[in-house]
Amino acid sequence: MAISLSESLYIGISDILTRKLRSLITILGIVLGVMCIMVVLAIISGMNASTMEWMNERGGVNKIQIWRNWDYDFRQGGSATLSLSELNQLRQQIPEAVAINPSVAINDAKLQYRGFSYRGAVLGVFPDMQIVENWYPQQGRFVSEIDLRENSNVIVLGSSVARDLFKGQNPMGRRIMVQGQILEVIGIMDSKNWENPGGGPWSGNMLEYMNQQCFVPLSTMMHKLKAGSEISSLQVTAKNPEDALNLQNKINMLLLRIKNGRAVFRVSSAQEMMQQMKQNSLIFTTIFIMIGAISLFVGGIVIMNIMLASIKERTREIGVRLAIGAHRMDIFVQFMVQTVLITALGGILGIILGYLILDLVSGYLQMPMLAEPRMILVALLVSVGVGLIFGITPAIKASNLDPVVALREE
Amino acid sequence: MEKYSIMEIIKTNALIKDYSLGKVKVRALSGIELSIDSGEFVAIMGPSGSGKSTLMHIIGCLDSPTEGEYYLDGDLVSELPKKALADIRNRKIGFVFQSFNLLPHLNILKNVELPLMYSGISTRQRRDKARYILDSVGLSDRLKHKPNELSGGQRQRVAIARAIVNDPFILLADEPTGNLDTQAGGDILEIFAQLHKAGHTVIMVTHDPKVAERADRIIQIQDGLIANGHLA
Ligand SMILES: Nc1ncnc2c1ncn2[C@@H]1O[C@H](COP(=O)(O)OP(=O)(O)OP(=O)(O)O)[C@@H](O)[C@H]1O
Ligand SMILES: [Mg+2]
Repeated sequence: MAISLSESLYIGISDILTRKLRSLITILGIVLGVMCIMVVLAIISGMNASTMEWMNERGGVNKIQIWRNWDYDFRQGGSATLSLSELNQLRQQIPEAVAINPSVAINDAKLQYRGFSYRGAVLGVFPDMQIVENWYPQQGRFVSEIDLRENSNVIVLGSSVARDLFKGQNPMGRRIMVQGQILEVIGIMDSKNWENPGGGPWSGNMLEYMNQQCFVPLSTMMHKLKAGSEISSLQVTAKNPEDALNLQNKINMLLLRIKNGRAVFRVSSAQEMMQQMKQNSLIFTTIFIMIGAISLFVGGIVIMNIMLASIKERTREIGVRLAIGAHRMDIFVQFMVQTVLITALGGILGIILGYLILDLVSGYLQMPMLAEPRMILVALLVSVGVGLIFGITPAIKASNLDPVVALREE
Repeated sequence: MEKYSIMEIIKTNALIKDYSLGKVKVRALSGIELSIDSGEFVAIMGPSGSGKSTLMHIIGCLDSPTEGEYYLDGDLVSELPKKALADIRNRKIGFVFQSFNLLPHLNILKNVELPLMYSGISTRQRRDKARYILDSVGLSDRLKHKPNELSGGQRQRVAIARAIVNDPFILLADEPTGNLDTQAGGDILEIFAQLHKAGHTVIMVTHDPKVAERADRIIQIQDGLIANGHLA
């Protein structure tokens, strides 16, 4: 009968302990390989997670944006704006859109209330902006269809505007002066807040600019605040992420037709950005996984050769074990277990080192990184796998030794 | 029980062992006819290179003959599966070598436990057994020592303890006193004599006629053949 696995583990561990330095050198390749793979996976999952978070904060994964195409040479004619009739033309052809929000902006409007004034952006929008941005008032109401039809003199304030212009007073129902028009405050938007998890140069609330915006009905903007202006940007929400890409292409085509073939607009989507991101991280992942795999492979070869050398050195021991009753299977398992123990140990060290490095690097680079528990399992399995693959040859060699030859070995 | 009854425990018919060194064939054994009864103490003598170790390896089921038959305890060894041979080496035969062959990185207790481990005996039981056996060869105060911390005679006593710990009925010793001085060699011989008295079959290779005198019978080997077969 063959000896039990716990017995083999015991032999393996004491073998490793009696040859500490050699074992340490042996596992270096595995340690580096596992560490490499782990750090990369953590960086990627960290980046993906924070990008997703950012996208959700900015209206989600179904969003399509249309704005001026900076690559277009406007000397060839055309302007990156839409008239109301052009907008309607577009709208009629995209009934599948869940929400549409055209906007006209005054980027540096002056808002006045009694003695106080505030400089900030005022946007003429549709009620759909709430859906498109997934952003709603915390107090009062948003611009309505009726406001839009009647060019109402109403305004919804960003939270920072409400705070800074009214100095603690309740702005609701007050009248403020904007670009020579008296507007009634009908609502205050929810406060937007998103901080890059890594901090660093991008620390602070990256969405504070949104809290400094105010909203009026698009019609009020186009007829009163900025008379004669045209729509300069458009946001559309698709039903789902798959539709988003189709809708993006469709809108692009429709706009080209409306603008007589001039590519004055650039149509982009969250989906497109995500795909780009995925592709970038895929290249990155592939490269580093390859580096990891190569070092694991090299590490495996190194281990195999060291094990082979060690078996040569221990020929006599193997002969003795066979002479006192070890089965060939016992010898096979003994060396197999030892190789796997060494690589698993390398894997564990790699994981620990990986964590330390992630800690260090994320501190320095202020980059978000996510080390998921799943990765520990993967790293462990990979290192055990390397042990199993590269341990077979030495173990077979050891178990096939002729006991007599092994005993005569000096 | 059978190990105390008088019966033929080892029997060979025209054992031949050839080694091939490239194209050259070396005949180490050229027709050994041997019969050893249970409980006998046999000494094997002969010049260097005559085939003594080769014969011992075959008797110990470490090696197989090129031709001829070897019956151990009634079984034709060449027909036994490899696994059975490992079990025979583990339980029926104890081997003692000239150069001790202890595992250097294990303490002597662990060394003696090894055969018990390979027969699947629990950790506790084998520790107790190994201690008991080491005690009987006078080494109970050295259990945690590594082999290289012991004298040659002590090492050989550990090797004997390891050989007998699993209660084999045959003890094979290939020049067990060859690396020892007279005093230590005498002690070792005494242990073998006692084991023989206790009923073990002992087969010992030696160059020393004084050592051989202790045996019931001396078998002379020359050029792979038995030169005498008489009882001493
Ligand atoms: N593995 C081998 N390959 C080739 N020849 C071998 C091998 N093993 C032993 N021999 C040869 O077989 C013959 C018998 O060797 P063996 O070791 O049995 O002799 P021995 O009687 O034990 O000698 P010694 O007293 O020196 O130990 C010798 O000629 C030896 O060279
Ligand atoms: Mg010899």
